[in-house]
Amino acid sequence: MNDFVIETKQLTKIYGEQTAVSSVNLHVKKGRIYGLLGRNGAGKTTIMKMILGLIPITSGEVDVLGRNIKGQEKRVYPRIGAIIETPGFYPNLTGTENLEIFAKLRGTAAPHAVENALKVVGLPYKDKKLFSKYSLGMKQRLGIANAILHDPELLILDEPTNGLDPIGIAEVRDFIKNLSVERGKTILISSHILSEISLLADDIGIIDHGVLLEESSMGELEKKNRKYILLQVSDIPKASLILERQFSLKDYSVQDDHTLRLYDTALDMGEINKALVTQNVTVISSQLCNDTLEDYFKKITGGEGIA
Amino acid sequence: MLKLIQTEFLKLRRRKLVWIMMLAALIMPFFALLYFKYFGNVGVEPIQFYKWSAFGYTFLIILPFVLGMLCTILMHDENQHDMLKQLWIVPISKMGYFFSKFFIVLIYSICFMLITAVASVMFSVLPGYVAFEWGSVIFLLKKCLEIGFIAAFAMLPILAIAASQKGYILPVCITLIYSFLGFFIMTVNMYLHPLSSMAVIIARNGDIPGIVFTQAVNVPLAFLCICVWNIAAVVLANITLGRRK
Repeated sequence: MNDFVIETKQLTKIYGEQTAVSSVNLHVKKGRIYGLLGRNGAGKTTIMKMILGLIPITSGEVDVLGRNIKGQEKRVYPRIGAIIETPGFYPNLTGTENLEIFAKLRGTAAPHAVENALKVVGLPYKDKKLFSKYSLGMKQRLGIANAILHDPELLILDEPTNGLDPIGIAEVRDFIKNLSVERGKTILISSHILSEISLLADDIGIIDHGVLLEESSMGELEKKNRKYILLQVSDIPKASLILERQFSLKDYSVQDDHTLRLYDTALDMGEINKALVTQNVTVISSQLCNDTLEDYFKKITGGEGIA
Repeated sequence: MLKLIQTEFLKLRRRKLVWIMMLAALIMPFFALLYFKYFGNVGVEPIQFYKWSAFGYTFLIILPFVLGMLCTILMHDENQHDMLKQLWIVPISKMGYFFSKFFIVLIYSICFMLITAVASVMFSVLPGYVAFEWGSVIFLLKKCLEIGFIAAFAMLPILAIAASQKGYILPVCITLIYSFLGFFIMTVNMYLHPLSSMAVIIARNGDIPGIVFTQAVNVPLAFLCICVWNIAAVVLANITLGRRK
């Protein structure tokens, strides 16, 4: 038995002639936060909808909490909390009344469940403000409160920080992190904001045009983003010759007429600078650099960036 | 199912229009009062008054239109605000959801006709146009309960159409057409439309004056008509709710 809470195998969704999701193999481990990162329209929401069984799958399989969700909805759904797109509620009711409806429908037995859920997201209990008067941020918070109302094992959150102000984003990030660290919840979260995912996720899946380009832990991803020494010199051919002959260096690349990247970061830069200067090569600058996650994203998506 | 029905009632909080629409139950009793006052009739047959107040336009036009509006209101928020996907992952069954709405329509319809019945008695007896008789009051209540019950079933197709639409304009327009079509089609074929079939069932004993049928009364055929439309409505609702995600 594997320890994946969500596992998809060759998950594909085709609308007419357009392939929205193509052969996605997703692996969400128990107790971890999995960040699904991709630009708008990359297929994140479609994947989440298929995982939840909200839209039919064209081909492939989805296992959620060890079961194929199709036909097992009554067993699986009570163990899941989800926000898909912008959460909608009854505009004529208050936040508390809205959650009371969902608590009743779910048969939530825990006393103060509504009060606790609202407290977690920082919304007032028994407030008189109607949902129709809520700001986008408050609506989003209420959506999250609804998702955690029944204390589910698995949370599927589609862009939960949409519409929140920077302080709100930080608060939501903190309590999502807490849900995972303190309560052991498994969380699948999607976002098009790279910094959000990098601050929150333990594992990351990068999706572009419906294809899962990369799936790895944040730790592995950080390792992949190689460190290097950026060396700017006056004469590249001469500098290359010195590096190869004197330091037996092969692992480097020429960036432009004056810039070299040396990938062996254990090199003694003092010695290199000295050798270059002695042989009349001016060293303009030398610095230790690291590719950012955004650089990596650009690289694997073929050059296009993300927010 | 009980939980679904309870939550349907909770969702009606602060829905003023739903309660204001209930006032439409007083329209025809009030017009009947004005009519009999204008002609200065005293001591009329109770059934003559009730024909005006409850057994005419109230059940053929006003009640269907009000119920159509109610169906639209009941479905509108969840469709408009994209709430269905949140409800499905609770999970709740699509048909349970649909029939809980229908139950609200049924209760509302019965209440509407009971208000009409009470108003009819008050507006006829209190000014003295009709002498109070238990027999006629019980007849009125019985018929109003029948109308309230059957009208909800006759309006099930509108509930299914409202379930299939995100907006409210089309369901309201279809409600208008549906209500008037039911009224006018009575002269052509009473067994084609649920509302005209409802009229057949209500006036099956010929005990309501003023309702004249062009065809022979066939109660099973009238029930069959309503059943066929209702089955089609349930199938439509099942398909459209399944697609709404």
